[in-house]
Amino acid sequence: MGEPVLVVSDLRAYYRTSAFGIEREVRAVDDVSLTIEANEIYGLAGESSSGKTTLIKTIAAAIQPPLEVLGGSVVFNFRDRRVDMHGVDRQHLDAIRWKNLSYIMQGSMNVLNPVRRIRHAFVDFAFRHIGKPMPLFLAVVREHLERLHLAPEVLDAFPHQLSGGMRQRVTIALATVCRPDFIIADEPTTALDVVVQKSVLAMIHEIQRELGSSIIFVTHDMAVHANLTDRLGIMYAGRLVEEGRTADIFRAPRHPYTAHLIASLPRLGDSAPKKGLDGAPPNLAEPPSGCRFHPRCPRATERCAREAAPMASLAPGHRVACFYPEPERSA
Amino acid sequence: MPGYLVYLLTRLGQFALVVFIGINIAFIVTHATPIDPVEQSIAAATQFGSTSPEAIALMRQSLKELYGLEGDLAHQYAAFWSRILVGNFGPSLSAFPTPVSVLIGRALPWTVSLLVVSTVLTWVMGNLLGGLAGYFHRSRALRLAGILAMAFHPIPYYIVAFLLLIVFGHVWPILPISGGSSMNMTQEWSWAFVGSVVSHAILPVASLALVGLGGWFMGMRALVSNVVTEDYVTYAELGGVARRRILAAYVMRNALMPQVTGLAMSLGAIFNGAIITEQVFGYPGIGTLLVSAVHAGDYSLVLGITTVSIVAVSIAVLLIDLLYPLLDPRVRAR
Repeated sequence: MGEPVLVVSDLRAYYRTSAFGIEREVRAVDDVSLTIEANEIYGLAGESSSGKTTLIKTIAAAIQPPLEVLGGSVVFNFRDRRVDMHGVDRQHLDAIRWKNLSYIMQGSMNVLNPVRRIRHAFVDFAFRHIGKPMPLFLAVVREHLERLHLAPEVLDAFPHQLSGGMRQRVTIALATVCRPDFIIADEPTTALDVVVQKSVLAMIHEIQRELGSSIIFVTHDMAVHANLTDRLGIMYAGRLVEEGRTADIFRAPRHPYTAHLIASLPRLGDSAPKKGLDGAPPNLAEPPSGCRFHPRCPRATERCAREAAPMASLAPGHRVACFYPEPERSA
Repeated sequence: MPGYLVYLLTRLGQFALVVFIGINIAFIVTHATPIDPVEQSIAAATQFGSTSPEAIALMRQSLKELYGLEGDLAHQYAAFWSRILVGNFGPSLSAFPTPVSVLIGRALPWTVSLLVVSTVLTWVMGNLLGGLAGYFHRSRALRLAGILAMAFHPIPYYIVAFLLLIVFGHVWPILPISGGSSMNMTQEWSWAFVGSVVSHAILPVASLALVGLGGWFMGMRALVSNVVTEDYVTYAELGGVARRRILAAYVMRNALMPQVTGLAMSLGAIFNGAIITEQVFGYPGIGTLLVSAVHAGDYSLVLGITTVSIVAVSIAVLLIDLLYPLLDPRVRAR
């Protein structure tokens, strides 16, 4: 394996607001480090408000106040260049956007301008990167749509004339037309019913294999992770708590939070009632001391309330942030 | 396309109904006013010296015949509609026997050119600045523009008009303060005449624009600050789409649609004239004409002006409804 495509180191991104002299700091992403290799699908899981979306916003350098990056770095090694996402200016970012780094967003119902035809979206996003005169460019787009089993006629449609699943597939075609090195997929299947979900996931998988791109795939739906991703990162309260090969995590989760997450999934033939986790996710404006999971953790000790466990490798490629990880199980 | 045809026919039916009801209301209101044009004329004729009651009765009879006011209300109503349907508003009662259509035709170009210029100018400037202020909401200059617009907006426009009159007509007399052009000029297509018309229009246009600007500005700024949070704008930014393109094709384009409706409505309302502005600046337009017609109890003229403006506003609304699908493809689907 060569150089990783994405290296995130010690990233901290907080929402900082100040109203009537009261400063508030929400630690949405705190000391997150991860690497993503070429040609892999990295899943990011975690409940709502665990910082998943903030993390990918920071990775995409889509920082709007009150979100601020306080430390750490996001570095991409694309095929043709190396980009420190928070160390370059807007022009550099615009030059890599869509050519090297593209985005499939949550709620694709609204990501296409409702009053313009689909064709214009392709022109606006991709034309400058393809470097061909307009008729040839449109031929490239048509060919790409056909390869993804979409009728080229969708180019002349308005977004409201397509179904939700169709629109999501059009945005996947839009996100892949420039053959990017890296694709950020933020809950692309969340708003779809399971049947459409399946075809959208198959499409993402197929195009990923063909292009050899890397994808960071964010969803809270563990079933989607199990079916699609190669590696999985679990976030809790703004921190990465466990990371490893998807199969390993599902087989033997080591962090107590992950263990609960996996145990809560329904399994065939398992009729035992599922127990919920006591308590609620912490308020990130005043996170608990030490390990942020300790107030809800059955394995917590006094030490967990005092200090946060760093991410440590328990096995090759399996990192966990816990002093007292679950024992290893062999399937 | 039968669906569109049905839509078109229903819309035309609504148009006819609105115009019919509007003109009826105008008829009722004018005939319910206590001012009687016949008595006004008699009063004018008899104010110097006394006239015998028989002569007055005779005068009243012939005036009624002349003005077409004989018979009961139902009779007048029928006569009124039979004239209106062929576009004949009859003679003016106060400027007898000049036809109403001639008076309106004389005043209309003044009002229409004054108000089209000020409305379009205000709309373009207000939306442009408001759109920029909504998109670049951190810009200090545009924030200042927002504060100014907000400060000017609630001031009644006649106050601004008087202020402009005092400043540019009295304190620093560089602009003409009254009339549509210089009195001693013949109305012809010469540079001198056009220049005179333009210089006479500057203050009225400025008074309407200064006040109108704020409304469009604030409306557009609010619309834009909503649109910029839409997913398709965020997505275009993540796509590295050129900022200028995002601003024009994603933000402004989408925010402008309700504003286009507003523009068509205010263009339709032009035919009402800007009554107070025209009064303040002594402008020879529809507003001035309407005020003097009301004072003189000139039914025919009031009815003529209101009919023209009812039809104009209704046509404006009809046109927006028919053209709107071109702007917003989502409406086409329905």
